[in-house]
Amino acid sequence: MSARAHRLIGWALALVTTLVVVANQRGVGIARDEVVYMQNGARYADWWIGLVMLDHGVGVRSVTQTFGGPNPTDNNREHPPLMKTLFGLSEKLLHRTLGVTGEVTGFRLPSAILHGVLVLLVYLMVLELWGVAHAIVAALLVLCLPRAVFHAGLACFDAPIMTLWFATIYAYWRGLDGRRWPWQVGVAWGLALATKHTALLLPLALGVHYVIVALRARPRGGEGTAGATRRARAVANARAVIGYRWRVIVSLAVLGPVTLYAVWPWLWFDPMHHVRDWLTFHLHHVHYNYEYLGRNWNAPRFPWHVALVTTLFTVPAATLAAAVTGAGVWIAERIRRDPGRSERDLRGPVLLFALSLAASAGPFFLGTTPIFGAEKHWMPVLPTLCIAAAAGVVWAARAAAGYLATFRAVGERLARRLATGVLAGIAGSVVLAAAVETQLAEPYALTWYNALAGGAPGGADLGMNRQFWGVAVRGVLARLAAEARPTGNTYVYTHDASPAWGLYQRLGLVPSTLLDAGWEQAGIDRSELAVVIHERHFNRHDYLIWNSYRTVQPIYVLASDGVPIVSVYRRPAR
Amino acid sequence: MSALSSRSSPIVVAPALLLVAISLWEIRAARRDAVSLPGDAAWHAAAERVRAGYRPGDLIVFAPDWIDPVGRNQLGDLIPLEAAARMDAARYGRIWELAIRGARSPDTAGLDPAQTEDHGGVVVRRFERAPAIVVSDVLARLPSATSDGARPTLELTEVGFAPHRCLQVSPAPGTPLRITFAGLLLGRELVGYAGIADVFTRRDVRSPGRIDVELAGKIIASAVAGVDDGWVRFAAATPPGPADVTFVVRATAPNRRICFAAEARQ
Repeated sequence: MSARAHRLIGWALALVTTLVVVANQRGVGIARDEVVYMQNGARYADWWIGLVMLDHGVGVRSVTQTFGGPNPTDNNREHPPLMKTLFGLSEKLLHRTLGVTGEVTGFRLPSAILHGVLVLLVYLMVLELWGVAHAIVAALLVLCLPRAVFHAGLACFDAPIMTLWFATIYAYWRGLDGRRWPWQVGVAWGLALATKHTALLLPLALGVHYVIVALRARPRGGEGTAGATRRARAVANARAVIGYRWRVIVSLAVLGPVTLYAVWPWLWFDPMHHVRDWLTFHLHHVHYNYEYLGRNWNAPRFPWHVALVTTLFTVPAATLAAAVTGAGVWIAERIRRDPGRSERDLRGPVLLFALSLAASAGPFFLGTTPIFGAEKHWMPVLPTLCIAAAAGVVWAARAAAGYLATFRAVGERLARRLATGVLAGIAGSVVLAAAVETQLAEPYALTWYNALAGGAPGGADLGMNRQFWGVAVRGVLARLAAEARPTGNTYVYTHDASPAWGLYQRLGLVPSTLLDAGWEQAGIDRSELAVVIHERHFNRHDYLIWNSYRTVQPIYVLASDGVPIVSVYRRPAR
Repeated sequence: MSALSSRSSPIVVAPALLLVAISLWEIRAARRDAVSLPGDAAWHAAAERVRAGYRPGDLIVFAPDWIDPVGRNQLGDLIPLEAAARMDAARYGRIWELAIRGARSPDTAGLDPAQTEDHGGVVVRRFERAPAIVVSDVLARLPSATSDGARPTLELTEVGFAPHRCLQVSPAPGTPLRITFAGLLLGRELVGYAGIADVFTRRDVRSPGRIDVELAGKIIASAVAGVDDGWVRFAAATPPGPADVTFVVRATAPNRRICFAAEARQ
């Protein structure tokens, strides 16, 4: 197969991924935060269009009114604008101008495309490293990650940052080949920074990796080192490290911030102050409530194992088993220290994957980093897991095929076919398991847990977080619409779906006469219908409704695989 | 012979077989898990069984606790607010438990069922026992209570993520709040619970609340409720007959919503 054909496979997998995500998101409700990003993204897009069309200039006032403000969350200034701007531009082009998508899909498409890009990048990097078999398996396993498919279908930052994180990793690794202008790594990191603040963790991985591979690459026992003092050796090492691929460092240090600055007009004035505000917001972020192993957590210290256990229960078990196998293979190869390693191997790709995983998940072992949102906050670990899984699958298949080929009856031709068949069988079974989990998880993937946990019911038994962001309300809208008065308005206590209510009305999922009753007890007292989204800390909403409605009986309970996720109450006749 | 001698150990096939086995197990397990819970028909049948035997005053509980919304959807009309937000289950002589996945409710711990039936995975158990005889309940006596500060309010609120009807106060930091029930009819035991209401103030204010129960100026029971302690039990033996009982509630931080309930039992 030609190199072009190999690349085409990657593009095809990327396209399939984007289509899967787009198709899946149609059944996913609108997340609470997503509404904020859509609204601000639409305004950011208008501003950029206005700038290009020369409708306005780059004045402090216009930038502040669109991207900033005096308060920490004014115009959503606490989150960088890249994805929001893309959401807004996409909706304007695809929905408002061309009319080829719905409003929500228009907003969400950039995330879906970026998820396809992730699959492509994983494929291309692994193809370059270990060949087409590894690459296809790794790409398919990235595609078949239930929670990632869910997040990639939202107009949010969690799936996009995974893509741009990995893009930075890939660009950095390529930049280590000694090219003259490794600009890609700086731009990729800048775009990652412009997506989510967690990109600030990337230099930890890249820095450690750079020092190690630079030290590995320095000449040993060269002229002048024999008998040199410790200080002289240290200076020589420092020179070797700095001089190894210094353009990569320059690219990161210069183009990263410049890219961030270029796409974020809020930084165009008083950038130091505004960067400080941005980071301060996240360093002092409120701890939202999050259920983990039967307990509601909303203040440190958090258990050190949250990232470990949550990943264990939210990545398909077969993928995890293959990843453990692959990690074992990598460690064994490292111990063997093959002297004939290629230049690519000397650039330390496995070390880079491991450090990427460590930098992404590491802060969650500290016990002080906010754990709400769970796996979405350390999703950049997933490409590493899938690449390791591909290594495990291919190694296991080749070992098995190699053994079978030693039988006397097996000729060379048959051995080749056997190798292909064994690889297809093993890879197919691992990918199929992941695909089945992904299919079962949607559209309520936040309630889903893998077979190790016992699925959604097992997750509930274990006291794992049920859901967040109120997306599941999408599943009771038809029932609410059916319960509306035939004439006049009906007030609904919409709970965490309140920010999305107007959008649901515009989409025609609820009639315009079904009105959001407002917040908390006052809203409940005004309402005739009420919704409770089941999370442990939301139990209080049930009790507020009981107080007002004088009944504990919901008229309908939406469940995912039998696990309650939304209750609907109707005020009894007085 | 040479072919055999050059053949590697069959153990090299094990990782491949293991990956296939795990994958096949996952495919089967995931599909089974997704349909493992009883459906509407089973819940309906179980609810009909309860309705057929239900008597006013019975308590209906569900296990595990996360299935509670489904249970209330079926039988919520037989669960008064007072029962749903009970202090504890001691005053109930008959308890119906609807359980799935082998779970048991904490309210039936240690009890043997008088009757057990399985309705498509929803196990209906009926428990019968001698109930605690409540001679007085501070919630009912609230109108006659006196306070040396803010008066408590009767709330149905969230304490420890569960519903409880209780008397809620927010004492000033460092200043004990004394709530007295004059002439409260006592039995042989006074049993109560205390906890901190509202998950958001529990998050933002991390200090505990404390409650002491005084009888004739002497502390007979105490409880310290931390933000993660939930609904904390306290109890004391009491001399039967009317007595002035004072609940002394303390907090070290503002906006500490301490909620308590207590019953005098025979």
